[in-house]
Amino acid sequence: MAKPKLALYWAAACGGCDVAVLDTNEKILEIAAFGDIVFWPIALDFKYHHVRAMEDKSIDLCLFNGAIRSTEQEEIAKLLRAKSKVLVAFGACACFGGIPGLANFTTREEILQRVYKEAPSNSNPEGTLPQVKTKVPEGELDLPDLFESVQTLEQVVPVEYFIPGCPPPSDLIVKVVDLYVTGKMPPVGSIVASDKTCCDECDRVKEEKKVARFYRPHEITTDPKKCLLEQGIICCGPATRGGCGMRCIKANMPCRGCFGPPAGVADQGAKMLSAIASIYQGDTPEAVNKMLDEVVDPAGTFYRFGLPDSMLKRKKVAKVQGK
Amino acid sequence: MSVRFEPRIVGFLCNWCSYSGADLAGTSRLKYPPNIDIIRVMCSGRVDPQFVLKAFQKGADGVLICGCHPGDCHYAEGNYKAARRVPLLKKMLAQMGIEEGRLQLEWVSASEGERFATVVNEMTERVRKLGPYNGNGRQ
Amino acid sequence: MAKISIDPITRLEGHGKIEIFLNDEGEVANTYLQIPELRGFEKFCEGRPVEELPRIVPRICGV
Repeated sequence: MAKPKLALYWAAACGGCDVAVLDTNEKILEIAAFGDIVFWPIALDFKYHHVRAMEDKSIDLCLFNGAIRSTEQEEIAKLLRAKSKVLVAFGACACFGGIPGLANFTTREEILQRVYKEAPSNSNPEGTLPQVKTKVPEGELDLPDLFESVQTLEQVVPVEYFIPGCPPPSDLIVKVVDLYVTGKMPPVGSIVASDKTCCDECDRVKEEKKVARFYRPHEITTDPKKCLLEQGIICCGPATRGGCGMRCIKANMPCRGCFGPPAGVADQGAKMLSAIASIYQGDTPEAVNKMLDEVVDPAGTFYRFGLPDSMLKRKKVAKVQGK
Repeated sequence: MSVRFEPRIVGFLCNWCSYSGADLAGTSRLKYPPNIDIIRVMCSGRVDPQFVLKAFQKGADGVLICGCHPGDCHYAEGNYKAARRVPLLKKMLAQMGIEEGRLQLEWVSASEGERFATVVNEMTERVRKLGPYNGNGRQ
Repeated sequence: MAKISIDPITRLEGHGKIEIFLNDEGEVANTYLQIPELRGFEKFCEGRPVEELPRIVPRICGV
């Protein structure tokens, strides 16, 4: 019987998810023995035209990481969707928008202006901006166009599974590979992680959630054994799906939500905001104002990895051109 | 003749105080704009920020949350939670480009029928001036 | 002119494509490297608290 065909691709990504797959160490040899990897830009030399030549649904499993923010990324997402039996949104960017999703606080125009004209380290005296079509003496060059907004993979094509995390922990990847190889994948549409929150698997000492004030990291030295939230450090554990092994907490850093919202939550940021306001101690208008001063960047902090996946999806702009 | 923009306001009213206050406005035959759609919740502290976002998503131009006056909450602390949640949500909505005035929290007691009518009137006119919501995420 | 496209470039981190233009003799007339991606870290980091930057900018490159 022919070996299953596997593909991995990155859209608006950083390479971390691909490195996480490589970090499965010996498991990668098992994966290579189990299946034929037919497309994986970071590791193998297959080109887009190889993928276009494949028959529909000939790729058994495609792990797609990275968010969608350009015409090329959307095109390849649709291409891989057509060629794949099972398409997995791999990593926080594909699942929720990820860090590139923070671009939904700004606009395409502002990004282009900053990157190509305003940035202090630029040397671009003619103010050249990238163009979709550029004429050169020898012919024409083309580039993809940027969309106004960042989208998750599921907002562009149907997806069978979601593996969250920035990046997904290597042991979770190993677990998923084992499930796939033994035919024991959970129901289609599942987010392959814990059904509970990060708080649930956190082994720090939790007493009562009553916060007198929120601190920024330079304002306090935290006790590594106690709950960070109870000490006044904003930790997104209560509104984040578990399954990551609390790796950030173990490094004494608060959770920032890269596993996305837990089961039953539509908007991670709204839920986290609700939790923060609930546990704050203070019933007077002065206390409320104090809290507002202490939570410096609510939208950025609560939607760190999930802005495109949120209910509002992006900051409202006067005129949205295209997507 | 141009058609005047009629804002759609969703109101989350707490069962014990503000919903009764709204009822009183009704039985007293006080006029208030029909632009508001009222949803009764047990407490203003029950209002999950996701409700507010969903209201905007589904067609609301403004969201009004009404609860008992501080100290009068039927559940003791619920309205204090709302008093913290709503300003923080407003701060976040401002970062998302949503204009000040589209989300409002007001205390209305069971005996304040007139106050309820005034609150709805003011809210409707304020949102009318702001114009249609036109934000993203609109379904 | 005849054109050879290498798309995508592989076995490194990042997106790129190379267009090679050949003259009538089949020699390379010119070659262009293009980077077909832009995420905008330079812009969306603005407004974030400074303590969050060490958590955001490593996502520029995960390798």
